[in-house]
Amino acid sequence: MSGEDRFVFCMLAPAAAILGLLVAYPVGLLVFDSFFKVDTITPHIREWVGLQNYFDALTSKRVVESALRTVQYSVFALFFEFTFGFCAALLFSALAGQSRWHRTIFALPLMVPPIVAGLLWRFLLVGNIGILNYGLVRLGLISDPEAIAWLSSEDIVIYSVSFADIWLTTSFVALVSYAGLTNIPKDLLEAARIDGANALKRFWHVTLPLMRPVIAVVVIVRGVDAAKTFDLIWIQTQGGPSHASEVFSMNIYQRMVRFGDLGEASASGTLFLIVMMILAAFSYWKIWRPVHA
Amino acid sequence: MHRAARLNVSGVLINAAALVLVLSYALPYIYLLMTSIKPAADVQQIPPSFFPAVVSFENFREVLRSSTLPRAFVNSLTVAVLTTALSLSVAVTAAYVATQYRRRVTTIFLLFALVTRMVPSVALGVPLFQLLKSLGLLDTIPGLVLAHTSAAVPLALLLMSAFFEGVPKELEEAARMDGCTRFQAFRKIILPVMTGGMAVTALFTFITSWNEFLYALLLTSEATKTAPIVIAEYNSVYGLAWGAMTAAAVLYSLPVIIVTLALQKQIVGGLTFGAVKG
Repeated sequence: MSGEDRFVFCMLAPAAAILGLLVAYPVGLLVFDSFFKVDTITPHIREWVGLQNYFDALTSKRVVESALRTVQYSVFALFFEFTFGFCAALLFSALAGQSRWHRTIFALPLMVPPIVAGLLWRFLLVGNIGILNYGLVRLGLISDPEAIAWLSSEDIVIYSVSFADIWLTTSFVALVSYAGLTNIPKDLLEAARIDGANALKRFWHVTLPLMRPVIAVVVIVRGVDAAKTFDLIWIQTQGGPSHASEVFSMNIYQRMVRFGDLGEASASGTLFLIVMMILAAFSYWKIWRPVHA
Repeated sequence: MHRAARLNVSGVLINAAALVLVLSYALPYIYLLMTSIKPAADVQQIPPSFFPAVVSFENFREVLRSSTLPRAFVNSLTVAVLTTALSLSVAVTAAYVATQYRRRVTTIFLLFALVTRMVPSVALGVPLFQLLKSLGLLDTIPGLVLAHTSAAVPLALLLMSAFFEGVPKELEEAARMDGCTRFQAFRKIILPVMTGGMAVTALFTFITSWNEFLYALLLTSEATKTAPIVIAEYNSVYGLAWGAMTAAAVLYSLPVIIVTLALQKQIVGGLTFGAVKG
């Protein structure tokens, strides 16, 4: 080992040790436990069951429903975050130099702890005292403040709990998109204008194609985050009413903590991990690598 | 003339739209602030009012007088400071060699950190619970610090790597020419120029730990509950104590928001950059 190699090794070792002990080893433990029947309530039972936990997880109605709900939640949240965020970025870039204060205020929710955002939205939506419905009555959109039971109707609760997510992270989308928009060369847009393209055409044929990489990054980063969501929904509904807002991460938590079923929780965790790794690999091939190549 | 007038009208429209957007965006948090300074009895009045009829700090007095919240703030602060110190010290050295001494092992290392950012915390939380239990670290400050560090190190690594990318290799070579060892060059020449990047990274790891909820929920029970856990409990333990909860939420979130405002430019840069990379 040369002196240079030894230096690299010594500088890398502490971080590698921490990631090894706190990430790689637990992940190994997770996969290992997923093949056993393990019960945290009576911890001495540890019985090899092969793929039984996976089979049980994939055939459980509650697990499959929570997985589908996670997709529902992520797609809904992502769609609105993206629409609002991108429109805000377009507005800010139209304002150019005057948008500094707008962007400052808009950036604030980025630093609001998720738990506070969740509680705040629960307070806005909750029955009887939720101010949002009173506002809708005032605007004439609904006739009675009890007309929409945001958090207690099983049909809409999975969408209602995403409002907090949308509020919290639209600014992230807006700021990243704004940074992307300011990087578009002005002469390109000017040339298109001289060639007779109207604003809509300039947006469709110049701005949008140039923003493609930024849009892809935002969609993947936010998509992965939304799929992992736990605290925001937990604080609003704890997964209720009757599991109607239970997403996949919450389902794993429940089986681990409430039912002490470590084996099955580990199997679901492993499946979750695999799906996320596929998303990660996808984002690596599509986005990260071309930039660094 | 005609064209100028039209531009002006669209300018006003854009300004108005931006103002409406920004205001409606800030409104929920302003409502939280307004609610926290209402008398406790007024918080749950029907119909609700946006502004307080009377300003009262009753809710703040209540949460600060209770024994749980002040202790939870101390726990949160301790865990966040220790997590930041630990993650930053290992991430800075590793990020330095990963960017300045590129080789296959460092590339794999950074890729591993990137992939780690995709791991759902609940998937890691289940085995971390086991690991800390076997080490006897459940419901202790060091245990929670280790758990938070598992999330903070990858973040700090990616941010610091981005900052080190901007450091020219010549800087180290010049120091080596002057007789420094590799480590001396790093410590005496490179680190002093990196203080800005380190400060931003430190702030981010601090906020990651300060905001963290799931590990704290899984790994603490009594002694080391952090602030978000106690705030969440206002809803179950004390019935629906919305007044106390809004006050606690304000105390918990406002310091971070004020720091954000003060360091807005660096933070937004770091956040969008870190997110794009990670």
